[in-house]
Amino acid sequence: MNTIASARREGGPSLADLYRVTGTSGYDELRAADGAVRAYWQALLSGLGDFPAAELTARAARIDRRVRETGVAYDMFADPNAATQKWQLDLMPIVLSSAEWRWLATALTQRARLFDALLADVYGSQKLMRDGLVPPELVFSDNAFLRPCQGILDKAGPLRFYAADLARGADGQWRVIDNHLETLAGLGFVLANRVAHTHVTGDLFKQVNAVRLAAHCQRLQNALTAHAGRDNAAIALLTPGPHHEDYFSHAYLARYLGLLLVEGSDLRTRGSHVYLKTLEGLKEIDLIVRCVDGRQIDPLELDPAGFMGPAGLLRVNRENPRLVVNAVGSALGQNRGLGQYLPALAKQLLGEDLLLSDAPRWWLGDPAARRHVLDNLDGLVIRAAQEGTGRPGQAALGRAAGEISAAERERLKAEIALHGAGLVAEEKIGCSTAPAFEGESLVARPFAVRFFVAHTGNGFETMPGGLAMTVDPARAVALSAPDGHTRDVWVLSDAQQAPHVSLWRPKLENARVERSQRVVQSRVADDLYWLGRYSERADWTMRMLRGALRRVAEDSGPVDGLGGVRRCLDMRLTDPEMADTGVRRISDAGDVESRCLDLVARARSPRTLARTLEGLYQVSYLVRDRLSHEAWQTLSRFRPGDPWMRALSAAGPGALLDLLDEGLAALSSFNGLTHENMTRNYGWSFLDMGRRLERAYNLSEAILTLFIPPPDAEEETSSLLLLLELADSFITYRSRYRLDPMLALVLDLLLLDEANPRALAYQLAAISKHLEALPDARHGVSLAEDRRLILSLLTSIRLADVMAIAEEADRATLERLMREQLQVLPELSNAVGRHYFNLTEETPHRALTRIEPRP
Amino acid sequence: MIFEVSHRTHYRYATPVAQSQHLVHMTPRTVGHQTTIRHNLMVEPAPAMRHEGVDGFGNPFVVLEVQVPHKELILMARSAIETRAPQATDLAATTPWDRLDDVITQAPGGLDLDVIQYRCSTRITGATLEIADYARASFGQGRPVLDGAMDLTRRIYADFRFDPGATDVSTPVEQVFAQRRGVCQDFAHLALAGLRALRVPARYVSGYILTHPPPGQPKLSGADASHAWISVWSPETGWRDFDPTNGIEVGEEHITIAYGRDYNDVSPISGVLIGGGEHVVTVGVDVVPQAAAPAA
Repeated sequence: MNTIASARREGGPSLADLYRVTGTSGYDELRAADGAVRAYWQALLSGLGDFPAAELTARAARIDRRVRETGVAYDMFADPNAATQKWQLDLMPIVLSSAEWRWLATALTQRARLFDALLADVYGSQKLMRDGLVPPELVFSDNAFLRPCQGILDKAGPLRFYAADLARGADGQWRVIDNHLETLAGLGFVLANRVAHTHVTGDLFKQVNAVRLAAHCQRLQNALTAHAGRDNAAIALLTPGPHHEDYFSHAYLARYLGLLLVEGSDLRTRGSHVYLKTLEGLKEIDLIVRCVDGRQIDPLELDPAGFMGPAGLLRVNRENPRLVVNAVGSALGQNRGLGQYLPALAKQLLGEDLLLSDAPRWWLGDPAARRHVLDNLDGLVIRAAQEGTGRPGQAALGRAAGEISAAERERLKAEIALHGAGLVAEEKIGCSTAPAFEGESLVARPFAVRFFVAHTGNGFETMPGGLAMTVDPARAVALSAPDGHTRDVWVLSDAQQAPHVSLWRPKLENARVERSQRVVQSRVADDLYWLGRYSERADWTMRMLRGALRRVAEDSGPVDGLGGVRRCLDMRLTDPEMADTGVRRISDAGDVESRCLDLVARARSPRTLARTLEGLYQVSYLVRDRLSHEAWQTLSRFRPGDPWMRALSAAGPGALLDLLDEGLAALSSFNGLTHENMTRNYGWSFLDMGRRLERAYNLSEAILTLFIPPPDAEEETSSLLLLLELADSFITYRSRYRLDPMLALVLDLLLLDEANPRALAYQLAAISKHLEALPDARHGVSLAEDRRLILSLLTSIRLADVMAIAEEADRATLERLMREQLQVLPELSNAVGRHYFNLTEETPHRALTRIEPRP
Repeated sequence: MIFEVSHRTHYRYATPVAQSQHLVHMTPRTVGHQTTIRHNLMVEPAPAMRHEGVDGFGNPFVVLEVQVPHKELILMARSAIETRAPQATDLAATTPWDRLDDVITQAPGGLDLDVIQYRCSTRITGATLEIADYARASFGQGRPVLDGAMDLTRRIYADFRFDPGATDVSTPVEQVFAQRRGVCQDFAHLALAGLRALRVPARYVSGYILTHPPPGQPKLSGADASHAWISVWSPETGWRDFDPTNGIEVGEEHITIAYGRDYNDVSPISGVLIGGGEHVVTVGVDVVPQAAAPAA
């Protein structure tokens, strides 16, 4: 095989020579029909050619790692190793010349203007339909046409976002294969790809003089603020939530543009406004950037089963038509049947010739087209006219009439006859190829690309970049690549590039971004609280495992110091839910090492390290827009499928120790970063409370396990050492006492010392302080339940007399104290949840009355 | 005829409702054969917000928002309506159904969107092949459209059994067709699915019907009901109403509230609640014919 490495060794052909285009019929982006390299690819090729071959492979691997660390994925909760989910970003971008880009940008903004005018008419005076320029039955048969939006969308101001999927046919002409007017259609993926790619190829990017995205995004951000109508506008990006495949894109974009990431249940309407439920009560929202289906945005007036937005939104929207962008109802423009009517519409609405046309398609609601298609089915693909998905790469494949059985064909014909108004027939068009970096060599792969247009202060403006995906030309007309093999799109410039501006570092005029982040949704507070709990639980569990494994490794003789370790491990292996039912242990394994492996992953206990890290990763993902980049990246090793996680589940006791050291280091840098970098708002209070409460619980549990019933003297010393180690207070103790551990002194340090950030009293005092600072959403006269509980816990610890406790032979007082903590802390946790997280007592639901007359 | 209609809907919730919003279609429309003399809607507890409007089909609607916690909600709609029997027409003199396409698409002065929108099936009136075939049996080649519609109305009445236990508000039309049972809105949806499969313009009508007690018995209070039927278009007559539940052409004992593509467009009350848990609803409708014109 001709790989780049072998070519270089032999001093053989250049990079371009290795790029063979198989098949002669298509159009290749890099190589012209005569085999020559197109001029505008030269800069990139020579840049790449300067690298040693190994460098290319290394860079591709770095991009891959960067993509994993960023967490780009369709579905973040799915197994990232599953082929269908893996997001790949090629080392080779698609390169577009500045001349071609100027034409594309103009053609795409023309289409945005056209759709803008088309939608305004269909939701306004409907003249186009009455005149037959848009078939009325196409509109009325489309579920995406939302009649209640008539009189809203047409007053909403211009369309804000438009995206189009393009492919270049064998004739070198670009054609549109799909339009996206409903949501932002994966804009976050483009930004994430660009950031990951230029992190590794920034030098090349600069060298070829490609255009940055930041300036465009800045104008987009400013335009949204202007649209919202005031400087400190609260702008929300409405997402279906973390289980939606596009959630990554939504979360990334919200963070990039400084928007509040909200879900439907975070919002409610009241009177003529929409509000966000926050810890401080309801906060008015000025603008909603919609990333949910319009049909599902208001269960009162639209799809009764759709709860993606707050009930009553359309009613509010009617009074304030600019409230939602894109305006609800815009998905109608995505109807694939419209393509054939666009040239005439461009003439009628814009007085212009349509520059960029659609792939050849027939809307099967038209009787003549239907007859033609029924007679000429072979070679045509039948697809839904309205698919309603903006997910890049996830468009459904059509049914190729030539490739199905005779019986299926008859069914298809019947369906066309009956429901043709919802279907289109299309011809396959080829897709051009461009080099992809595969197996150390450049391979020609067909692709399609999504471009994005936004309405900014300059009118419609095409973003100088895009999301390209490798497609299977044999099957798809659509941008459909289930394996998510993506490529960045580099637009070359003739001009000097403006200095680099990234929205990650806001300037003064974006101060709104910082302020809006202070709003803490109740849901986010809940997630941050659990982030605190899981990170502390992971830390504690790893310390315990490390303590146990070290003792086994270091104490080779028959030492009794393992008794405490064993009891602690058993306690963690017990499901706390079952602790009081007499089921003491889930694991029956004999030695400490085996118990450690149980606690890592093998046991069914909910407190295994694997389960804890899974919870930690998931919950951190939910609040990643609240975390710094670095904080998030430190947690990325806990992503399911990450090499560290795979090593952890496979490790024996020896390897485990090293992994635990790495894990603890990652956690402690995460804790340090959140401690140093998060503003002390209510969100931080909940993160810290979660951490404190978990630590208080773990500490109380360890003390109870190690010292009740009282062990013999030798084991007590060993247990005290273990406790100091678990609580990370060994050095503090040593520097204070220079003595072997004594129970009274250790208890003083770990229970009462409010200056020791590892002491129980310190945790309780911190929780108490947080609660006092939080708004009391109840407006009650009496002390809130959470305040009452923390007061009783703190008082009981502050009143304890450690000297007396340590001298008691049966340690009854210590036992009572610790049991009280273990009982009340979970109650406290529940009380905080009831007080702050459940502002909606119940999710909304719709009640319908049925008409039921007598016969 | 002049009718006094009272329509009382009473919700009882298991737990307090913190906030509720309701979309109400209870105001009878004034249309060709019917005049609304008087209408009012009382709501208890009093809504914090009340918005009235006209929807895309020309129906009056009300949106209510109740913000005080409540365990009961009562909506009381009272209307006085005058209905007139439709002019007698020869259904057999209407345009053949298979010629409708030419008439509709070649209308002088632009397409009539109000007619065309009702040719298109909706999510809950999508026909299966079987339903299309069933409807086609009433529409032989060249059959006048309203003649066919009357025939379909009679066939549904003859072939299907009224059975409130057989379906609920979300039963799909193909299941209604398969089990040959349902209630008035099921039969209306079935008829619409069949007619729209043949691209005949047909719409859903929500309304009331006067009921007659069995001979010799007094009429019970609250015993009348909401009703649903269909309306079919021909170029000669405009919209004419048919009642598949009773197998008849609609006369002056039917009172129209609203027109839509299907039930979802004109459901009398739909609400979105926060809280409330399980609920029980009781509906009482009285349709009382007035001897003379009521005092305004």
